[in-house]
Amino acid sequence: MTKTILAVDDSASIRQMVAFTLKGAGYEVIQAVDGQDALDKANVHNVNLVLTDINMPRMDGLKLLETLRNLTHYKTIPILMLTTESDNEIKAKGRAAGATGWLVKPFDPTRLLEVIAKVIG
Amino acid sequence: MVGIPLASNKDNHTAIDEIATADRNNITQNSDVIEYLMNIKGELNQVDRLVSDAVNNLVINFKYISKLTKSHHDMVLAIEKMAAPEGSKNILTLLDKQMTIADKIEQELEMAVTSLQFGDLVTQLLAHTARQVEILNIELQRANHASDLRSAGDYDAIQAGISRAVNMAKAKNKKKPVVQQGMQMGEIELF
Repeated sequence: MTKTILAVDDSASIRQMVAFTLKGAGYEVIQAVDGQDALDKANVHNVNLVLTDINMPRMDGLKLLETLRNLTHYKTIPILMLTTESDNEIKAKGRAAGATGWLVKPFDPTRLLEVIAKVIG
Repeated sequence: MVGIPLASNKDNHTAIDEIATADRNNITQNSDVIEYLMNIKGELNQVDRLVSDAVNNLVINFKYISKLTKSHHDMVLAIEKMAAPEGSKNILTLLDKQMTIADKIEQELEMAVTSLQFGDLVTQLLAHTARQVEILNIELQRANHASDLRSAGDYDAIQAGISRAVNMAKAKNKKKPVVQQGMQMGEIELF
């Protein structure tokens, strides 16, 4: 069965590069432009993995992560952070909030697919 | 403000006039600084718009090339099937070469995915820099309102006012969101 990935980023080019990579590997991709949009979509779609940016308007990636982890369905769903941020302090916040992993931009398509395959099972 | 020395009425008026002129000059100079900083912010926005426009176009080109490559790939496969088994050796060799080229183009496109993310990094850096300029501008205006920069001729006071504004701007500044110096793949950590 095709797995569905929710890709969240306020940058249209990043969303398109992520979608290009994931669709090419056979995943279904739902795109969201910020944390709030992602939350709305996460509530209506059966998502198998969330890949989210941190710095976004309306709702940032860390707030989205915290909010999703409080929802029953998303307690165990892998949530990967894909961000330009590599500071240990913010990384620790993400880890404490329940992030599955941390990927620093720019991503390499092959490595991204390897990580997703590993965490999605 | 500089203290007005006790003197005759005429001298006193002259001193007040001089201070008023110097005060006006300082305000004008400060307006120039504010305008200059606003111009820098405007130019940063212009760079952002140009980069975003270029990235949008590159992404459109990228997706179109990718689509064409996939069609080409599929077409070569279809021709190969039609040609075999009775196809001539020469045709099959040419088709093999075509297939190798199609594979190489696909590999190059995959590599371009990493480079095409530069727009996001640049936009975030520009937003960060524009914010720094804006905060400095606000702090300089605040210093001006507090008369820190109006003490005509008192360079120490002017310098102190500017330093205070810069320090306030630094304190209000957020951490740099992008530390990457190149477009190499970023690190990956699984928790």
